[in-house]
Amino acid sequence: MQSSFLNPLVIIWFINTTLQFSTPLVLAALGGMFSERSGVVNIGLEGMMLMGAFMAVVGTWFSGNPWIGLLSAMVSGGILGLIHGLISVQLRGNQIVSGAGIILFASGFTSFMVYGIWGIRGITPSVTQLPRVTLPWLGKISPLIVLMFLMLPISWYVLYRTPFGLRLRAAGEDPSALDTAGVNVQTTRLIGVFLSGVLAALGGAHLSIGFGSRFVELMTGGRGFIALAALIFGNWNPLGVVLSGLFFGFLSSLQGSIDVLPEFSYLAPYVQFIAMIPYISVIVALGIIRRSIPPKSIGVPYIKEREG
Amino acid sequence: MKEDQKEIGTKLAQDAKDEGEGAFERIFWRILTELGWALGSIFLALLVAALIMIATGSNPLLAYSALLEGALSAPDLIFSWATPLILTGLSVALAFKAGLFNIGAEGQLYIGSMVATILGIYLFFPIIIHPFICLAIGTLCGAFWGMIPGLLKAYRGTHEVVSTMMLSFVAILLTEFLVSGPLREPGTPFPQTMTILPSAVLPNVFGSPVLHAGIFISIIAAIFIYFFLGRTVSGYEMRAVGQNPTAAEAAGINSKKLIVLSLVMSGALSGLAGAAEILGQYRRFIIGWSGGIGFDGITVAVLGLNNPFGVIFAAVFFGFLRAGAVAMQTLAGVPVEMVNIIQGLVVLFVAAPKIIKWLAKENVSYAKWIVKEPKNAIPLFLTAIIVLIGAFIGFGIGFANIRSDLVFTAQMLGIGILALWSFIAILMKRRGGFITALITSIAWIILAFLTVVFPKGTLTIPLTILGLIGVLLSLISSFLVLKKRVLIGGVS
Repeated sequence: MQSSFLNPLVIIWFINTTLQFSTPLVLAALGGMFSERSGVVNIGLEGMMLMGAFMAVVGTWFSGNPWIGLLSAMVSGGILGLIHGLISVQLRGNQIVSGAGIILFASGFTSFMVYGIWGIRGITPSVTQLPRVTLPWLGKISPLIVLMFLMLPISWYVLYRTPFGLRLRAAGEDPSALDTAGVNVQTTRLIGVFLSGVLAALGGAHLSIGFGSRFVELMTGGRGFIALAALIFGNWNPLGVVLSGLFFGFLSSLQGSIDVLPEFSYLAPYVQFIAMIPYISVIVALGIIRRSIPPKSIGVPYIKEREG
Repeated sequence: MKEDQKEIGTKLAQDAKDEGEGAFERIFWRILTELGWALGSIFLALLVAALIMIATGSNPLLAYSALLEGALSAPDLIFSWATPLILTGLSVALAFKAGLFNIGAEGQLYIGSMVATILGIYLFFPIIIHPFICLAIGTLCGAFWGMIPGLLKAYRGTHEVVSTMMLSFVAILLTEFLVSGPLREPGTPFPQTMTILPSAVLPNVFGSPVLHAGIFISIIAAIFIYFFLGRTVSGYEMRAVGQNPTAAEAAGINSKKLIVLSLVMSGALSGLAGAAEILGQYRRFIIGWSGGIGFDGITVAVLGLNNPFGVIFAAVFFGFLRAGAVAMQTLAGVPVEMVNIIQGLVVLFVAAPKIIKWLAKENVSYAKWIVKEPKNAIPLFLTAIIVLIGAFIGFGIGFANIRSDLVFTAQMLGIGILALWSFIAILMKRRGGFITALITSIAWIILAFLTVVFPKGTLTIPLTILGLIGVLLSLISSFLVLKKRVLIGGVS
């Protein structure tokens, strides 16, 4: 059993599946980061991923081009993000309730529309996958995996080295200071929520047209919540989010290995405990060792003081 | 701080005043406006859902009438669905009253149901005591699962949204491990435990095959929570903490204790929901049996405006949707997932109660007018909405039947145009708009009558209802406009 871990084929299998599993998590978690750093809780990530996964297949089916599918996924995620933003930022409704509504709506809408468009239930016909890119060492991989790695420096740069990133962080920490500086807090937050929708939808699109080639009812299966866990475990900063996303992706591939690799079948009875690790690590990080510190004004709608 | 105290003081005083003498009218109006918000959200959600159905080529009227028919033919099924929803809804609502968000009701429900199953299988007790012991210990374990986030919130400052959600997944996976490993009934293709002993079963009531005694537990729990929140010191303190924690702390309330208490009670209610569902409905633990009852508790609490009796109303409404969903699928060909869409839309619309005020701020004159004179404006506004819905329905059914029945299509399109015209007239502040609305509504009733003569049977009831509501509302609005000389759209 010891040798199986060192077997190069097994290692390559693990690297590959870890990348596959962590891409949706990392993309959605980075999206969640943009929303939560701006002060808006987004538990609707699951719904946005699901909508992205579905719309990617719809766009590809009707246009025949997976890139159009990817674009329609981004648009649909952005729209859901804007709805969440309209309710929780503009109308100052409850952000958790709005997020729950987004999840319910997206799960109902996608399952319903599979029937509405194709007349079959549960699963769509197969569509064209995103073309793979060839990279040294890793071989042919989905472009969204490349995007995941590109998003790390991009989001770090946007968040810490641009005026927009500074405003975004200020909106989440001390919105009244941002307001005093003459920047519109609500617009800043809307952009943050919009970005979160787009990125989460890209993560969902990886599941449907990056990794697979069809949409299955409720195919995200709680990955949006694991992404939320990765966001918190990663302490709301890009590097932490990517690393914890990769770690949770590795745990998923460990679960997957039980079915595929006979060397790991002895883990089968305990598969639920492996699946529990992300959730427990969040409780530990947040509650017991208090390593994670959320943005200060998260979840609090900003109310501008009256003039005069 | 002083401001805060004043604010909380006035809010609680307002509650007290509402319960005092001579306040009947005020309570009446408050209930009416709250009911109006809830019904309005349902209305808008059904409207948007109807548009989605039209877009996919289904007939929304047929779907809704099938839903109505299916649900009304099995009223016990409605309450059977509502039973656990009332309890999980109360669970979320109670925590919300204390300003906390328990989105982990699903996990607490699974813990409660698993414990009840184990006790139901392995304990030996006489017939009446056994279910009570299972319920009590299941409730306690649910309470324990709620206590962890409570303690983390009170003493470590961990946000309860995150901790309840994460612990919920831990609970689901833990029960999944138990049911697919040590407790699995051998030789079954699907992970499930053995059935519980007959002595532990909660009996069915009213001779129904689906409705069990849990419905009484749910209703008693709602009444208990109502009295707890309104009539006990802890309930009062809990609401105070929920409205303003700093002010409550300044007034000498131990907010930490109350945070833990509210999440413990919240977890207990969810645990009870799970235990009762197993003992009454499923009689064994099946993997993934709940299908989101705990998560739906959020929806129920939101639509019930966190009021215990509102929760019952909301749970019955969602039970109604579930009970009719299968009929909707078989009779109208609309998949049951439509219910989830409606549920999600209801939540989104309730989540934005300030939409009218926001529009008023954006200088939309109608919204301004509704905020200013709600008693005059709301009937007129509702007339406009019902007329608009009629227009959508007319065009929708008209185009849906364009290939099969040309005469019917012509009738529908004609009435759709009439409805649209009266809507525009109302919007442009013409007084004649209400007369047209009245004519349109009478036309709906005549058309409903015609559908009896020519077989379009499923449309009769919804069209009649639409027509009658339209007649009533347009009569009220015409009366308001003509007699009291209300200016349509207010002074702007």
